[in-house]
Amino acid sequence: MGACTPADSKTIAELRGVTKRFGDVLAASDLNLSIREGEFLSFLGPSGCGKTTALRMLAGFEAPTEGDVLLDGDVVNDLEAHHRPVNMVFQQYALFPHMTVAQNIGYGLRQRRPRLPKEQIADKVSKTLEVVQLGGFEDRKIWEMSGGQQQRVALARAIINEPKLLLLDEPMAALDRKLRKEMQIELQDLQRQLGITFVLVTHDQEEALSMSDRICIMRDGRIVQVGSPQELYDRPNSRYVADFVGTSNFFDGKVADQSGELTTVCLNNGLHVRGTPVGELISSGEVTISVRPEQMTLHRQGDGLAVEVRNRIFLGEHTEYLVNHEALGDFLVLSPRQSELTEGAFGVGDKAIVSWEDSAALVLDRN
Amino acid sequence: MRLYAVCVYLFLYIPIGVIALFSFNAGRHASQLQGFSTKWYGKALSNPFVMDALETSLIVAFTSALCASVFGTMAAVALQGIKGPIRAAFDLLIYVAVMIPGIVIGIATLIGLVTVFDQLNPLIAAIWPNGFTPPKLRMGMGSLIAAHTMFLMALVVIIVRARLAGMDRALTEASSDLYATPMATFRQVTLPIISPAILAGFLLSFTFSFDDFIIAFFVAGSETTLPIYVFSSIRRGVTPEINAIGTMVLVVSLLMLITAQLLLQRGGKKQNDSR
Repeated sequence: MGACTPADSKTIAELRGVTKRFGDVLAASDLNLSIREGEFLSFLGPSGCGKTTALRMLAGFEAPTEGDVLLDGDVVNDLEAHHRPVNMVFQQYALFPHMTVAQNIGYGLRQRRPRLPKEQIADKVSKTLEVVQLGGFEDRKIWEMSGGQQQRVALARAIINEPKLLLLDEPMAALDRKLRKEMQIELQDLQRQLGITFVLVTHDQEEALSMSDRICIMRDGRIVQVGSPQELYDRPNSRYVADFVGTSNFFDGKVADQSGELTTVCLNNGLHVRGTPVGELISSGEVTISVRPEQMTLHRQGDGLAVEVRNRIFLGEHTEYLVNHEALGDFLVLSPRQSELTEGAFGVGDKAIVSWEDSAALVLDRN
Repeated sequence: MRLYAVCVYLFLYIPIGVIALFSFNAGRHASQLQGFSTKWYGKALSNPFVMDALETSLIVAFTSALCASVFGTMAAVALQGIKGPIRAAFDLLIYVAVMIPGIVIGIATLIGLVTVFDQLNPLIAAIWPNGFTPPKLRMGMGSLIAAHTMFLMALVVIIVRARLAGMDRALTEASSDLYATPMATFRQVTLPIISPAILAGFLLSFTFSFDDFIIAFFVAGSETTLPIYVFSSIRRGVTPEINAIGTMVLVVSLLMLITAQLLLQRGGKKQNDSR
């Protein structure tokens, strides 16, 4: 997917120091973000983190309190939604209940002035229905359609206008799990096929990781980190991101030595661990070490942390061990099937040694 | 408890039933049944006074219901966009307008209009060109329609507001997202969705205006509506003809109320289904 969004591609939309207040509530604070033409960008975060507010400011439903929203290089802060070349797929689809499928999809085209000929609209509607695999459903009523079909109608109603940005507000939230997987793949295909810039809002990290070219992680109205799914997974800039994207083990401690390329951290039990510093560490030196479970290995002997196996879950290609260290407590180790085949599996109650590469241990800001 | 409830319902509905029953009485006395006949219906419908009063009532009911529906809808839509204490104040005033007894509205409108007319009439006469008789503002059809429109508007506002509140805000946002101007959004999305409520409000208003006696009694001037006609004829004794008129009014009113109720229910259901 990286191929269709070269890093030097043009910026299609931008948030510059955007802050949004609703009364006393700070919904978005100093957002700075460039959205590249043709990319699939996701806003990821828990509810109330400001991701929907960011989307609504791009759509034109909210105006920023401070800062600028730019579309195609122009400041559009006060441009109303109906003047913006941007379309949105709403969470509950917001299809017009009194119109047929075709009337819903043609709605945007019917607002154009000068008016488009009826035949041209009908022709485009049926072509768009083909694109979302609903050919022949023109005259259906909205309430006759299933949830998945309604979503396709909502999608068709937006993409028929060939918007500069397609905004998707938790579009899969109302679908069941199986349908959600199917729609994720379809949405990705569609995005590649149309070349439209997609901006998705979601609280589902799996969804964001599997679909996006870039993810913008938000927390309490602020952008925490922006990057490709791999960057966020491998180089999270804070404990929050490491915890939100994938699973990780965290050990709190204080910076003991920061002179070399690696930072030495004194863990709370007095143990010294070396790790790679990521992002800016706060001056107090209160940090956390993050190690992904799959980057830890279990041995029968050697250097490392002496632990006791508490639980073992066989997952097929991996085995998940819950281990306990006297001072550090419980944490997870993910062991590939191959190493179990060669070294033999550990049973519950077995003593083991856990170790990891220095580069796998990330020294992060504790927040 | 159950017996008590039965008694209440009997007390409420027996008089109405008796009126309907006696309207088919063949004899001319209201107190004894003398066989079945529909002749009183024929008689009522061929009575020029009844037909005149009916015409007045229909014109007043239709016009005031129409005005109330238009202005009430406009008010409801406008109120939807307002928040805070101003809206709370308007909400309160609207409920008060519905609760105020008809006699208060009647007297207040009468006094208010008469006072204003007394002030305006000399003014109009003064600015009117010489040689022409100046028009004189007085109580009549106009004041009747105005008074009815005023109190029915509150009713329409309440019905339409309920429907607007139940409407998904995302629908109007979706419309504006799809390049529709606020006016186009209102015409293409809001209006079709709230139209069952507006129609129901119209039908209810029509019924209320058609049946109203108290307000009409005060502000009708020399006009005679059907309820006023019925009231004045009762003073000469209850005839089966009056019963026939009463029964017809009852049937028409019930049909309108049922239609309004169905509109409100079906409209609400359809909207929920599409969510």
